[in-house]
Amino acid sequence: MSDSIEQLTDQAISNMPGIEGLPRRNGELVFHDDWKRRVFALAVSLCEQGQYQWDEFRDHLIAAIAAAGETPENPKPGAPGYFEHWLESFEKILEEKGLLSVDDSLTQSDD
Amino acid sequence: MSDPSRRSSIGGLAAGSAASAAGCAADEEAHDHHNAPSNPYLERRRSPEETAALEERVRKLENLMTQKGLVSKEGLEKIIDIYENDLGPMNGAQVVARAWVDPDYKTRLLEDATEAIRELGFGGMQGEHMVVVENTPSVHNVVVCTLCSCYPWPVLGLPPNWYKSAAYRSRVVIDPRGVIGEFGLELDDSVEVRVWDSSAEIRYLVLPERPEGADGLNEEQLAELVTRDAMIGVSKIPLRSA
Repeated sequence: MSDSIEQLTDQAISNMPGIEGLPRRNGELVFHDDWKRRVFALAVSLCEQGQYQWDEFRDHLIAAIAAAGETPENPKPGAPGYFEHWLESFEKILEEKGLLSVDDSLTQSDD
Repeated sequence: MSDPSRRSSIGGLAAGSAASAAGCAADEEAHDHHNAPSNPYLERRRSPEETAALEERVRKLENLMTQKGLVSKEGLEKIIDIYENDLGPMNGAQVVARAWVDPDYKTRLLEDATEAIRELGFGGMQGEHMVVVENTPSVHNVVVCTLCSCYPWPVLGLPPNWYKSAAYRSRVVIDPRGVIGEFGLELDDSVEVRVWDSSAEIRYLVLPERPEGADGLNEEQLAELVTRDAMIGVSKIPLRSA
């Protein structure tokens, strides 16, 4: 069963048609920094496990990007950028679903 | 035999044409997969210090989630690997290159693409059938999804923005020759153009013509010549001109 959830997730991600579409070159994803890669995988992983529907996450992402007023057609180099919106949206949905308190994460000590 | 200029000439063919083709002048990819200035939307924009702070924030988040058993390092690595390396046009390019070098494979591919593509390890279609349509000197195929943006993602990755635009979806059906021409590919009047409309059940992939003069290339080198646009059918793999 987990296979079919993964496949549905893949399609939902590849079909994000609007301002929330993943930055890419020639169809392939563009991650400049490792944290972008990591936070991308975190959000996909929890969705694949059924912790939330992709649309729920996507709605946060759309709202965050829309608030910043940036689109691929109208880039604003000073704006936070796509994956910071992704990170913010991911933290929101973690809180919303009661999966994690982001404050806990920021204050945790390393061990 | 490998000709490095060939690669850039492919990029050049798509250059400046994708943008106008579907009336979406702002497609970031049209500005990005050739020599034009890259789009600021795709560029890094934080200072090294800011990037370090973000790395730290995500690292803590990941650590805590790992401690809580919500995610595992292995699971995350697998997702990253799939999205970075397994999904994307390079899969389709491998299918095309195999078909060019292996006539038996090509026969299987044209008969049952879903199964032949799975042979190479690219599955993950869910209920959809893959159909591969072959370009020949007398027939040129082009793929669209008029209803939405159905796309053979296991072999082509994420669809380009122009593929999803209303302009491409409606115009390529009415005037395929004209739209293809805007991508920089002029088809002779004698060539029959076939438009394939994808659906939830059927996804199409174009098998481009093997470029002439590429006889000395091995399968891997051939795969590098294959572009996403050629597999959608809005461009060709250029034939050697002299």
